[in-house]
Amino acid sequence: MTENERDDSLRPDPDALLALAEKDRRGKLTVFLGAAPGVGKTYAMLTRAGRLKAEGVDVVVGLVETHGRGETAALVDGLEVLPRARIEHRGKVLEEFDLDGALARRPKIVLVDELAHSNPEGSRHPKRYQDIEELIAAGIDVWTALNIQHLESLSDVVAQITGVTVRERVPDVVLKKADEVLLVDLPPTELIERLKEGKVYLPESASRAVDRFFRLGNLTALRELALRRTADRVDEQVVDYLKQNAIEGPWASGERLLVCVGPDDLSEKVVRVASRLASGLNAPWIVVSIERADREVETTERLQRMEALFRLAEQLGAETRRVVGNDFVEEILKLARREHATQIVIGARRNRGWRKFLLPSLPDALSRKAAGLGVYFVTPDKTEKPPAPARFALPGIASYKQSVLIAVALSAATAAVGKLVYVFAELPNISLLFLLAVLGAAVLGGYVSAFIAAVLSALAYNFLFIDPLHTFTITAPHEVFALIVFLSVAIIAGGFASRIKEQAEVARVRATALQSLYEFSRKLSTAGKSDDAIWLAVSHLQASLKRNIVLLLPDKSDLRVAAVWPPDTELDVTDFTAARWTRDKQEVAGAGTGTLPNSRFEFRPLMGPHGLVGVCGIQQSEEQLGPNAERALSAILDQTAIALDRARLSEESLQQAARLEGERYREALLSSISHDLRTPLATIMGAVTSLRQLGDKMEPESRDDLLESIEEEGGRMSRFVSNLLDMTRIEAGTLKPKSDWIDVSDVIHSAVERARKYFPGTVIETGIAPDLPLVEGDSVLLGQVLFNLLDNAVKFGGEEPVNVYARRDGQDVLISVTDLGKGIPPAEIDRVFEKFYRRGKPDGRSPGTGLGLSIARGFVEAMGGKIQAESPAVKKRGTRIVIRFPAGEAAKAEKAKG
Amino acid sequence: MSERILVVDDEPQIQRFLKPALKAAGYDVVEAATGSEALKAVATAAPDLVILDLGLPDMDGKDVLTSLRGWTTIPVIILSARERESEKIAALDLGADDYIEKPFGIGELTARIRTALRHRERAAAGPAVITTDGLVIDTVRRLVTRGEEAVRLTPKEYDLLTLLARHAGRVVTHKTLLTSVWGPAHGEDLHYLRVFIGQLRQKIERDPTQPAIVRTEPGVGYRLVIDL
Repeated sequence: MTENERDDSLRPDPDALLALAEKDRRGKLTVFLGAAPGVGKTYAMLTRAGRLKAEGVDVVVGLVETHGRGETAALVDGLEVLPRARIEHRGKVLEEFDLDGALARRPKIVLVDELAHSNPEGSRHPKRYQDIEELIAAGIDVWTALNIQHLESLSDVVAQITGVTVRERVPDVVLKKADEVLLVDLPPTELIERLKEGKVYLPESASRAVDRFFRLGNLTALRELALRRTADRVDEQVVDYLKQNAIEGPWASGERLLVCVGPDDLSEKVVRVASRLASGLNAPWIVVSIERADREVETTERLQRMEALFRLAEQLGAETRRVVGNDFVEEILKLARREHATQIVIGARRNRGWRKFLLPSLPDALSRKAAGLGVYFVTPDKTEKPPAPARFALPGIASYKQSVLIAVALSAATAAVGKLVYVFAELPNISLLFLLAVLGAAVLGGYVSAFIAAVLSALAYNFLFIDPLHTFTITAPHEVFALIVFLSVAIIAGGFASRIKEQAEVARVRATALQSLYEFSRKLSTAGKSDDAIWLAVSHLQASLKRNIVLLLPDKSDLRVAAVWPPDTELDVTDFTAARWTRDKQEVAGAGTGTLPNSRFEFRPLMGPHGLVGVCGIQQSEEQLGPNAERALSAILDQTAIALDRARLSEESLQQAARLEGERYREALLSSISHDLRTPLATIMGAVTSLRQLGDKMEPESRDDLLESIEEEGGRMSRFVSNLLDMTRIEAGTLKPKSDWIDVSDVIHSAVERARKYFPGTVIETGIAPDLPLVEGDSVLLGQVLFNLLDNAVKFGGEEPVNVYARRDGQDVLISVTDLGKGIPPAEIDRVFEKFYRRGKPDGRSPGTGLGLSIARGFVEAMGGKIQAESPAVKKRGTRIVIRFPAGEAAKAEKAKG
Repeated sequence: MSERILVVDDEPQIQRFLKPALKAAGYDVVEAATGSEALKAVATAAPDLVILDLGLPDMDGKDVLTSLRGWTTIPVIILSARERESEKIAALDLGADDYIEKPFGIGELTARIRTALRHRERAAAGPAVITTDGLVIDTVRRLVTRGEEAVRLTPKEYDLLTLLARHAGRVVTHKTLLTSVWGPAHGEDLHYLRVFIGQLRQKIERDPTQPAIVRTEPGVGYRLVIDL
């Protein structure tokens, strides 16, 4: 450590403090760790809980198995026990820990026994430790119990020691992240004693395994593992403490491990060994796989194997990297330097077959070049099967058998042609012909084919053309040299040719994928609405992945299915739960993941620039998606997310515009109402104060006029207020017209009478047909409608007379009110029935409220009639408002009259 | 001879009560329903005062005011609705003498008319001694007294008070006060005004919590009340 670094380390490490702060918001995990079943973990946990309960801490039992033991059950008695969830599984009802119940109850501390437990199918998480993680994330402290044999990194050691393979495993990270680990220890002899006394509960079925398991040797070994693990933890805590408090001290060793893995069987062992090594050295470790840059298309099997390996490594607490490169050794060393690795861990795999003789093995090459680095080899067990040969299935590139056939056929054909040519003319460089065959084989059959063709060609050439003919012996030394040169050239050229072919194939596959993606984004860019984008995405995904696709969008507090393809795809409850999980946590969930794997779909979040915009479900099948499909999928999802975000923004801006429009409208409405109320009010106020203060100085006519204006303005205000009320009733939908038989001529007469009184000096002419049938409606409302129309006609008609007509028109009764004013411009004729629409300011008269016609329409429509405006009405002037009501049946009408 | 008042309003019912009322109060009344009619009437009928509604059918009342102020100092009283505050202030800043909100009582209007007319005479006669609520402001001797005692004011307070006194009885907008007392750069510094008006009231008012001399016109400005 340099002087400088030491100074730095005197300040508290910000990362360490940050991690501490993060921990403060989360719940705390306490693990009661034991070497074997029966050491008394549950008992210890309950005793401690009882003590805290007595101190008034809110501690509840989430799930504890007492196995009918009295002393343990007695401890549970004093505590609050959460009810268990009942889950139906294959006809049986299982009682399980109720995660949602615990989350809803929100105690300070919850006890959940058996950390390694696997949940039955259909639970949210397959493993209990995942339930517990959720509890902790929700800020609830959790106490749980664990036997050391369930720890993932120790599973192979445990299997070696005890001969029992443990199926329920817990990732090391869970224990590593635990805030407190309490070791519950019992000497093995005492444990065996307890077992004999029947104090340890064990399932019946496991009795034979139990005998093998509970041997003194086994138990002692397990006890050591448990003690060591706990000691390691204590050590880490000391280091953490020192770091947080800036105490200079003996840090971790400073070692960093780089662990190289591949898709072979040995790699799993490499990972486990590296994990133990790392925890022994207290060193961080990075697991890396190197993929050939020119080999795009891996087999699904290899991919799955790598995926599983990486998941294991992550569970054991490693960082994982994928590196792309051609020279394995160079890439490993480059990464080691970049990551400041001090040791490299690698499987000591030897080359197989011909490579053994031609190429140095990876470990050899590495150890030669890794100057200054420790290289740690992990050797395979004897029983280990040789790994499956790495095969690549490129579309368009021949299989193994085909390549051999191609090589043989081409070599034979060339030999025949060569021989034929040889008969007619002795060519000096007949070997070139064979080179052609090798290149042909390389292009058609790939590298293997080229190699076989090269060897076959060399043999054939020797046999057919080199003296002595028809033997494999060579007499002339220069011919030997020529043959060796030929063979080398053929192999190298063949190798290059096949690689070029492969690369061309890869390029073609990529180009196709790019083309398809380009097509998609081009279509997407033309999709303005989010619906279009969704349908495009769903159908495109289905077409390129050949899976059922579902796309869900957030809808208030829930999700709604926005699109599915094919259209008969349906989601069940589990699928929905997984989709919601994805929305809430913005993590992948569902099939093939650690959360709700029972769902048939894998759900991925669609993350736009402003957070989650949707959730996409991809139905899973036996076959996993290849890397190309995976790449295409994430590219499409990214594009869709951006498109959805864009669509959302543009929809929002439209809504914003509509809101602004609405605000403007409300403002106009407000100022209109205030004007219409204030003008008569101002007149009344002014006139009244004038009369009171100056009345005695006025002429009697002036006084009368003022009084009259007060009366008129009062009437105007009252009409305005009742108009407003009518409008409110229409808008609120509370208008319920009576349904009577009404005589239209009667209603017209009384409305005209009223109008004449209000507007003296205006001529109103009526023309009513004598055979007018009755109509069904509300006479008061119809009267109001007619009065409003007359009011309008008088206002806009100038000095000209207003005409009111009524007649029968087929099945309808038709009423019209016509003025001879300026009329309405054709562009505005549809707007006259809108609220607060006004036709300019009429000359010399008070402006309307802009409500008359819209109230008329509201009333007429409520009574089942129709209303419309026509302009010009007569000789390019005027406006006619026409109302139609269906005529009542004559008989009914007669009856009503009678 | 009675003074002539031009009433500019497009609402016939307002004209209908203003005419007999103002006549009864002893004024001659000329009517105009539009902006252009109003401008013509000021030129031909030679009124002594204009009552101007801001909402006119043919042009904005403020434009009428601007045209008028181009060639005459005739007192103008603005008629406006309460919610159109910014318009009102703009009109005052454009040179209107006062404003009155609809609906109003006739007494209020005649008081404003009297103040405006009197001010016109006084402006012609030059500065004078102003008395209000027992407070005497002598702008010639630069002295402010209450009873026998002189009221000690800072130069800014004095400027503020005399500015209000010069427009006694009429509203003076915040902007006018700020730009004349503090300078053109301070037209928006309303908080200066609040502080200094507060200090001024402490010194000149009988009861500073219920000011009787310097009245607040909410959102518009201040008005110095004078004994009529």
